[in-house]
Amino acid sequence: MMKIKVGQGSCGISAGAAKVYEALKTACPESLATVSVTGCIGMCFLEPIVDIYTESGLVRLVKVSESDTEDIINFIKTGDINFVSRLVIKDEDKQFLEKQTRIALRNCGNIDPESIDDYISAGGYSALQKAVSEMTPDDIIEQLKVSGLAGRGGAGFPTWFKWNAAKSETGEEKYLICNADEGDPGAFMDRAVIEGDPHNLIEGMLIGAYTIGAKEAIVYVRAEYPLAIKRLTKAIEDAKSKGIIGNNIFGTEFCCDFRIKAGAGAFVCGEETALIESLEGSRGMPRIKPPFPAASGYWKKPSNINNVETFANVPWIIENGGEKFFSLGTQNSKGTKVFALTGKIKKGGLVEVPMGKSLREVIFDIGGGMRSDKAFKGVQLGGPSGGCIPAEFIDTVIDYKELSKTGAIMGSGGMVIMDESTCMVSMARFFLDFTAKESCGKCTACRIGTKRLLEILDRICKGEGKEGDIELLSDLCERIKENALCGLGQTAPNPVLTTIKYFRNEYEAHIKNRCCPAGECIDLIHYSIDPEKCTGCSLCSKKCPVSAITGKVRESFSINRDLCIKCGRCMDACRFGAVRKGSGDCE
Amino acid sequence: MSNLIRCTINGVEYSVESGITILAAATQNGIEIPTLCHDERVEAYGGCGLCVTEVFSGNMSKLMRACSTKVSDGMVIETESERVRTSRKFVLDMLMSDHIGDCVAPCSLACPAGTDCQKYAALIANGRYDEAVKVIKEALPLPSSIGRICPHPCEKNCRRALVEEPVSLASLKYFAADKDLFGDTYIPSVKKNTGKNIAVVGAGPGGLSAAYFLRRKGHNVTVYDKMPLPGGMLRYGIPKYRLPKNILNKEIGIIEKLGVRILCNKTLGKDFSLDSLKAENDAVIVATGAWLSSKMRVVGEELDGVLGGIDFLRECAMDNAPQIGKNVAVCGGGNTAMDACRTAVRLGAENVYIIYRRTRDEMPAEDIEIAEAEEEGVIFKYLTNPDAIIGENGHVTAIKLQCMELGSPDESGRRSPVPIEGKFEEISVDTVIMAIGQKTDPHGLECLEKTSKGTVCADTATFRTSDEKIFAIGDVSNKGADIAISAIGEAKKASDVIDAYLNGIDAPYKKPFISEKEVTAKDLCDREKLSRQKNPTLTPDERKSNFNEVALGFSEEAARKEASRCLECGCLDYSECRLIRYARKYNADPTPYLGEKAKRTKDDSHEVIMRDYNKCVLCGLCVRACKDIEKASVLDFTLRGFNASVNTEFGISLSETACTSCSLCVDVCPTGAMYKKTKNMKNVSV
Repeated sequence: MMKIKVGQGSCGISAGAAKVYEALKTACPESLATVSVTGCIGMCFLEPIVDIYTESGLVRLVKVSESDTEDIINFIKTGDINFVSRLVIKDEDKQFLEKQTRIALRNCGNIDPESIDDYISAGGYSALQKAVSEMTPDDIIEQLKVSGLAGRGGAGFPTWFKWNAAKSETGEEKYLICNADEGDPGAFMDRAVIEGDPHNLIEGMLIGAYTIGAKEAIVYVRAEYPLAIKRLTKAIEDAKSKGIIGNNIFGTEFCCDFRIKAGAGAFVCGEETALIESLEGSRGMPRIKPPFPAASGYWKKPSNINNVETFANVPWIIENGGEKFFSLGTQNSKGTKVFALTGKIKKGGLVEVPMGKSLREVIFDIGGGMRSDKAFKGVQLGGPSGGCIPAEFIDTVIDYKELSKTGAIMGSGGMVIMDESTCMVSMARFFLDFTAKESCGKCTACRIGTKRLLEILDRICKGEGKEGDIELLSDLCERIKENALCGLGQTAPNPVLTTIKYFRNEYEAHIKNRCCPAGECIDLIHYSIDPEKCTGCSLCSKKCPVSAITGKVRESFSINRDLCIKCGRCMDACRFGAVRKGSGDCE
Repeated sequence: MSNLIRCTINGVEYSVESGITILAAATQNGIEIPTLCHDERVEAYGGCGLCVTEVFSGNMSKLMRACSTKVSDGMVIETESERVRTSRKFVLDMLMSDHIGDCVAPCSLACPAGTDCQKYAALIANGRYDEAVKVIKEALPLPSSIGRICPHPCEKNCRRALVEEPVSLASLKYFAADKDLFGDTYIPSVKKNTGKNIAVVGAGPGGLSAAYFLRRKGHNVTVYDKMPLPGGMLRYGIPKYRLPKNILNKEIGIIEKLGVRILCNKTLGKDFSLDSLKAENDAVIVATGAWLSSKMRVVGEELDGVLGGIDFLRECAMDNAPQIGKNVAVCGGGNTAMDACRTAVRLGAENVYIIYRRTRDEMPAEDIEIAEAEEEGVIFKYLTNPDAIIGENGHVTAIKLQCMELGSPDESGRRSPVPIEGKFEEISVDTVIMAIGQKTDPHGLECLEKTSKGTVCADTATFRTSDEKIFAIGDVSNKGADIAISAIGEAKKASDVIDAYLNGIDAPYKKPFISEKEVTAKDLCDREKLSRQKNPTLTPDERKSNFNEVALGFSEEAARKEASRCLECGCLDYSECRLIRYARKYNADPTPYLGEKAKRTKDDSHEVIMRDYNKCVLCGLCVRACKDIEKASVLDFTLRGFNASVNTEFGISLSETACTSCSLCVDVCPTGAMYKKTKNMKNVSV
């Protein structure tokens, strides 16, 4: 019997997948095919996606809407592809998945995340069984060491080391914690894993708990991820009912409880010690390290914290052996990395690639390049803590060391793509606005320093920058990096530093010429109408919300700059390319 | 003991107990590491970032927070390296850029001598007149005299004026000082004798003050003055009806009691020279003032009956008043002109005119002086300028005035007077007093470099003249004649510089860095309006035929009432504030970073604890002390980012919380963000 799977990650649901699923479920007779949900396959730009598993293979339909239901049913009934040929994924889009290597995301988009049986059928929980029945904690640590798995939350610290440190601590009471407080703007890797394959996370965490000797595992997940929480909650319940969570797991002496803590959405709670404070019911503010959580964490007990993606790799490593993981990647970085592609990219979504792939392969071969025909300008890696890599370094390979050399970081996987219409000063300003607001306020350098950075960037974007502002920014950045207490503050200046490093001319244009070369800073741009090109059709005038455009029909129109609010509607409306956007001397 | 480890701090090796922090190790060995957020009683926090030290390993070094980093065996630590200082300065730049508070009240800032007006006002309000005098005498030795005659820049800067009228600080000052003078007089302490000798030329307010401050520091000071009695312009320039001379005598007497030697009738350039003083002393201070009346350069100035303003006042002060007729014209609009015209009235002149080329609004004299002169019948001829003095037989008979009108404003913003062509006026007068300015008498000062004005050139930070051993202060130096308190202020600063110099230290005066905030009338709109107490005076009839003191001074009740009007603008924790101390130590300068300042809660509702989080540095000590020591948990953090703050639950006032009034929060607060109030009394800064 045929199977129909409707991608139901947050991305798919936003695009209408829930309605498509309901419509198919209602319309499709049970005798014909089963209709189920699955997680995000990663091709967010093609959602809603309906996968039909026929006898002759998978037929993947994309950008499906409710109105396509009848044709889909007809296709299933008759096998006539013509009913749905318009919806079938194009070959060029298939590349998106074909060029990936999926370990952490291996089940996402394939299995029903709400079905533990689906997970088990796909080989789930066998790694856990193997671990607790056949392996000692030291065996597991050895496998992780062999694998070269490093923390996927951003810092890239060897996972085995942290596990070993927590394991080596004496004491009965230990905790294993998953950091699912994914707060970077433009990052949704963890969400996709939890929504698409929650049992994989549970399995990875239970292996971790077994290894370090924790009797309780906690997932700290942001409350803004309701679907992830819902699916994870169900997965925990299902695992409990199957005896996978609880006492004497797989008949061994290993006992572990499991729970979710929903965080209130403070970015800083992604910092492990702030996360622990928050878990304890206090305000999320980082602690001074040392002591590290491995020695004194949750309730001052030995605790190990890893990111979702890190745990998601663990069952695969146990199942396939550390060496197989090690074989993927570069000399310094092993395995795969999941990235969330967003911004001006043509094919935005979730990709998992082996370490060592170049940014060009990810952005152009998988991501399809720029959405518009504009030139690629740069990529922000690692969100607000990361840095911007300019077009000239597009061939940099994905590797912790290589990326750091550029001034950016691997980060947790956010990849925000920018084209030539992006103002880099404004981009840096955006991230600083974020970090300044998200600073917990504990340390001076971050609380006030990021605010001062933001103020300077603000004035530069407004065309009020002063001579010496670039040096002032650079100096402030260095001071903040050196004095801030936690990772948030220490990395907050990165977007500013890297944009100054690679796009200094844009800063100078803003400051010296009061112009925004990318034409993005609203205070520095103006619209005008080219009288040569204007046909006097009056469309722009009609679209203008503030009546700033006047002229005689069939003659040339002009814009009153005093009235113009720079909304750009005239430019969008003009069919003759007569409306121009200019900025200072860079027009 | 076996658990000792070794570490090197600032190049010196120490043995310390293993497990202790860098901060503890340094403190144990007498090395200060600044911190705002650390207190032994609570856990290390790491917020302020001030305690960073540079920890070396091999060629690498790292900044580590001393409060929480444990010393490891062999650790090499620098607590004041360039990198450390840069980082600390940055932290302090940041904190100061977000600090809303006045370290010092605007009145004190305006006082050239920096008198702590807020503190003495508070002490007067609380009835502690003796302590008030001690506070005042730290800044000036002649409060009874100065309180009477000072044009009180303090009051001009008093924020109470934004509510209704400024606090009557000058009158309060001499109220307290009179109580002291006519009661149990306070004799300031004098340090052990240093054996250093200092000569001061000029026994005016500047010279006497320099002598006072240097004597208190233990030096032997001799003051030389050409006049028969000390006091300078206070005695010979200020009429007795403003400053009775018994007051001045008593105050100078206290200075003499401290051991200052005053030698009168000694004229520089005649009885002694700067060279002779230099030979006998370790330092010489020139404070000879500006004793020459400026000339107007009008026709007839040489006539009999034309007098210089200060010459006239000096002669009167010496009970040697010149013969003036029934009609007297006084030219000028300053305080000397007012003193001259009112003195003329008292000498029996029937018609006394003030000739002033602008209008009353532009007049530099004190308003009260003008008003009292008007009450005494002085005729103000505004918008007139002497054109010529007319005489017969060599004696003045009239003055010809050019009528003026106000033109466009000049650089100072004052509208400059311009003559109305052809419009003149003539008044019959017997005497013309030229009170238009004073100049330095260069006699005996030939060896010193001069300014273009003819005053002695002195460095503004060291007060040193072109001669290394000779210093100059007051009217004789730089910008010339100014008010007495300016000379006193210079005397104080110069005495510090000279004291250091005598100890072989070069310590030029540097204006201390302070925090100031902007306050508008709107910010004070909730204050109860309390009108200014009037200093009672004799009626015009009671006073204009004699030289009795015009002002009668505050009653005790009025003084306490008046002092209570003080708004307490200055930080009450200023002298104990760690933030300002460190800001100065590390040369904090928030100017490049000035931007928004977070507006935070101010709560004065609690009986004993005042909170003003605009001065908070978010060190969290109050929160932690309340939670971890007192176990009350009344305070906690709120909001995020730049606006993060400490507050009570739901921001309710402290008095509504479970606060036990233990005041631990106040004790641990490194700034003036939390302050313990004085019950039913005016708060006195620590």
